[in-house]
Amino acid sequence: MIINQIFALTWKDLKLFFKDTRAMALIFLQPFLFIVIMSYALAGLYGSGGKPLQMLAVNEDGGKEAENVIKGLSGLKGFSVQTAWEGAPLTRVKAEELITKGTRSLAVIFPPEFSSVLEQLPTKEDRPTAKVLLMVDPATSSAVTDPVLGTLQGLVERAAFTAMMPRGIDYLFDHYNMTDMQVGRNDFKKKAEDSISGGLLGGEEKTVTVEKVTPRAMKVAKFPDSFQQNVPGYTIYGVFWIASLLAASILREKREGTFTRLMAAPVSKAVVLTGKLIPYYLINILQIVIMLGASALLFRMSFGHSVAGLAVTSLVLAASATGLGVFISAFARTEAQATSLTVLLLLTLSSLGGCFVPRFIMPHALKVIGLITPHAWALDAFQDLIVRGYDLTEVIPKICVLAGFAVLFFVIGVGRFRFE
Amino acid sequence: MEPPVIDVKNLVKRYGDKAVVDGITFSVGAGEIFGLLGPNGAGKSTTISILSTLLSYDEGEVKIGGLDLKKGAAGIKRLIGFVPQDLAIYPALSARDNLVFIGRIYGLTGNALERRVHEVLELAELVDRANDPAGTFSGGMKRRLNIGAGLMHKPAILFLDEPTVGVDPQSRNFIFEHIEKLNKEGMAIVYTTHYMEEAERLCDRVAVMDGGKILAMDTVQGLIGLAGAGIIYLGVPCESLETTQRLFQSTENIHAIPASEGRLKIETTRVDEDLLRVIARCKEQNIPILSLELLKPSLETVFLHLTGKRLRD
Repeated sequence: MIINQIFALTWKDLKLFFKDTRAMALIFLQPFLFIVIMSYALAGLYGSGGKPLQMLAVNEDGGKEAENVIKGLSGLKGFSVQTAWEGAPLTRVKAEELITKGTRSLAVIFPPEFSSVLEQLPTKEDRPTAKVLLMVDPATSSAVTDPVLGTLQGLVERAAFTAMMPRGIDYLFDHYNMTDMQVGRNDFKKKAEDSISGGLLGGEEKTVTVEKVTPRAMKVAKFPDSFQQNVPGYTIYGVFWIASLLAASILREKREGTFTRLMAAPVSKAVVLTGKLIPYYLINILQIVIMLGASALLFRMSFGHSVAGLAVTSLVLAASATGLGVFISAFARTEAQATSLTVLLLLTLSSLGGCFVPRFIMPHALKVIGLITPHAWALDAFQDLIVRGYDLTEVIPKICVLAGFAVLFFVIGVGRFRFE
Repeated sequence: MEPPVIDVKNLVKRYGDKAVVDGITFSVGAGEIFGLLGPNGAGKSTTISILSTLLSYDEGEVKIGGLDLKKGAAGIKRLIGFVPQDLAIYPALSARDNLVFIGRIYGLTGNALERRVHEVLELAELVDRANDPAGTFSGGMKRRLNIGAGLMHKPAILFLDEPTVGVDPQSRNFIFEHIEKLNKEGMAIVYTTHYMEEAERLCDRVAVMDGGKILAMDTVQGLIGLAGAGIIYLGVPCESLETTQRLFQSTENIHAIPASEGRLKIETTRVDEDLLRVIARCKEQNIPILSLELLKPSLETVFLHLTGKRLRD
């Protein structure tokens, strides 16, 4: 009897569950989508079939040494080095432009004097030095740039050592009496070290250094810290959760009949809907202020130079999130459906939009798909302002796209909205 | 003669091909309580939703307070109060805040708003619980607040859609008393219900609805008169059903038709006398009486007479 009853109860709930397509989507489709998106997005970092990290290489060097380093870099697994763009050899200006536009995020620039510095006679006095530049988009996580910097440093040092060693040995033969070798063994070793390295390895100042820089168009006083890189993404992720609250509230009003009462009162539908949206919009703005304000106070996070840019981006971001709430409420019939639809949408949009994983390390297809999320545009606008040092006028195109999402959500949501 | 405050002519509302309100005509006078009586799905709530400006309609003409519903909905909204079947209140807000919100929607502000909130709280007998969240109220208290919210702007016409559903007897009486009081103050009231007792107690006139149509409309007494005085349900063995029906075919003032499950429905104008006659005739013919149910003259019997089914079927 008891077994039968348990069986009956189990059967009933399974049947109810499998009749609820939205619940099934939440349980099965949402984790699956998340797995697929995150796995593809992170493929570049973990190397599981992902594409190599794309890097531009500008060779201004008149000699052969930079070419050797570039070859070494190209031969490394995980790097894809481009020395030309659209058929023409890459220039510093072009590389800077591509990074500024966000087409690429890394470029290594070898200066004209690179070979001559490496091929100099290694003496300690009056050595010329060279600086290899790693130009990066400051929004690129240091988790990506630091290993690149280390790899480049190693390759450059090896190139320098390889170039200097023969000259060092020549110098040794020229300046040392070889007949004394057996007598002054230790003295010989000391001179040999100085001759070969020329202080490159042991000296206070390196002959060739590698320095991380940003494009000149970006007004970056210093490289962003992890808060500046992470806070915008997680803020945007959090902001869009207002959509869940708004949609559930609208559906609750429909269920409880309070919308019906309002419709019988001398108040237009537009006014009811506006009155419904404004509080959530204000809550959204308060949420952004608290999240950014807390980051500033607790983590001493800097927000770039443009307060106006931050304010306008935040206002449009909040409008987009509120619009998504109306959009969801127009498609969901119950509060439970609204919640599951929100979870499904927000995790997908946040992942594709780069809130969890930087978009630049995603495969090209995901990067393109990411552009149809408001998250990607909002994140890019925030990173332009906070990390890249841009001001309001420079982020207006991205804000306009974000506003476009807000308008689209409102138009579809309001168009399908039913007060009954 | 004073013009009616509500005048409905040939009203039709369709969902797809199905007419849920099918050409109804009625009017409600000033200070009248008008009842729409019928089972669930009869079209009462659809009718009241149309009159409350919540639903559009396909055909017909509706005038409320002299204003055409299609052209003057905005003006009509100020004349009417609507108490929906659902408890259309915000459970997280206090009773006072619920009323303040509704008052503001109707344009009340400042002292006038405060005064009216207090009046309605007194009317709903919720002064002591004014600051408690409505969600903590009993079903009856919520209903009273629901009605109070519909009265905030002192409407000339009040639409009440099944206002006593799920209400305890004490609160039900309270609601009746207040409806009567409001009516005495001159408010016209349209009241939908599927409880015949409520229609009998409250309504000056009643329209009996089923399948989107008005089957009959009159005062309660007029309707009862229309249907005959009462109904006797007579249970006999199935094999005797036809014989029993034939027995009463030619009897004056008695109309017998088969009802469900071996029962005959006998409509009569003199229940007390005819009950004895029915028993005597069955005894004469040796027809065993398995069950006997007497429905005294009421709107229930009217509905049975008109539709062949009970109000709560």
